[in-house]
Amino acid sequence: MGKIIAVHSYKGGTGKTLLSVNLAAAYAKKGKKVCILDLDFRAPSLQSIFKLDSSEYWLNDYLNGACEINKVVTNYASQCKCNGTMLVGLANPATEALRDMSAKDRKWEMRALGRLLSLKNTLLNDMELDYLIFDTSPGLQYSSINAIVSADVVLVVSTIDASDIEGTKRMTHELYDLFEKKTAILMNKVPIEFLSTSMEREGLYKRFENTHTLPVLKVIPCYCDVLRARGTEIFTRDYPDHPFTKHVEEIVTKIEMF
Amino acid sequence: MGKSLGKNPTVLLEKIKESLDRLNEKMEIFIEIQKQGRKQDFVVQDLPEALDVMTLLSLPDHLRKTAVTICKLGRATAEEVAEQTKRARAVESGYLNQLVLMSYMKKERKGRKAYFFVEK
Repeated sequence: MGKIIAVHSYKGGTGKTLLSVNLAAAYAKKGKKVCILDLDFRAPSLQSIFKLDSSEYWLNDYLNGACEINKVVTNYASQCKCNGTMLVGLANPATEALRDMSAKDRKWEMRALGRLLSLKNTLLNDMELDYLIFDTSPGLQYSSINAIVSADVVLVVSTIDASDIEGTKRMTHELYDLFEKKTAILMNKVPIEFLSTSMEREGLYKRFENTHTLPVLKVIPCYCDVLRARGTEIFTRDYPDHPFTKHVEEIVTKIEMF
Repeated sequence: MGKSLGKNPTVLLEKIKESLDRLNEKMEIFIEIQKQGRKQDFVVQDLPEALDVMTLLSLPDHLRKTAVTICKLGRATAEEVAEQTKRARAVESGYLNQLVLMSYMKKERKGRKAYFFVEK
């Protein structure tokens, strides 16, 4: 059976969406059947990458019980230039939708959890997908905790920012551990001079693992080329030989063994 | 009684087993109530409580595991929950009944089996 991966972080701007999209593209490039869902209903962003301004059905509609998931997802395999399947489900970026989603009550959130949990059957069992990736909102939001509860694996993206590291540590004990989730850390945007020698790299891995008491899957340097791309494209597709792409491919292999 | 036992002992034995199961379940509820204190602490809400993720986070570890399993299975018996959590059926039955008393879950009987579910 396939796996559900939730990509989460304590703070915003850590690179969750960048990593989620590129992980999905890397899986699809390997011929896997993958689906990525934008569960950041406060600040949706996948529509900018997949260049979609309007849609008949959004993930909001699925969670509202207004449609089934097959009406929401679209196959972007040709756009990704990949061999596999790359389904994308978008959150509605309209201001009215953001307002509506932030005003949901606890009963609605409970039903939304049920709808997310049932994706295991519809997407992984019935549609035989290999991976379902949830791009979540940062921190302790209903939508992100719902995603974490529904996931098999949680990838936590953190920067070297002290408050980010502290918050990630707290979430490990107060969130991921409580739901007994298989969790790993991705350190992102690490200044490249911290990683210039293999000794420095190994030292950094050990330091982060000791701090987080979780496995660190990858320490990814901060690349100006990635920043220059402004999150409008699928970076690993456009720059297949870039070191960032190699890092993403290594993460994919590590998740398969995780 | 002796007559029906002679006619169909299997039916009678099944009825006895069913009664014992129910008795066992009631005992488990009493034990839970005794463990946790006064009955009023549990039977306070008439309306079902929402079992959302924030509530799940606030539950003690042992109950959270049971509650998350019911959320995943949708509707299940104590035995089916025990299969997932790898804990004893009697233990899960106690936890599930405790969650019912706390109004987070509902319980429905179908024949010999008791099904637990979250009312949506």
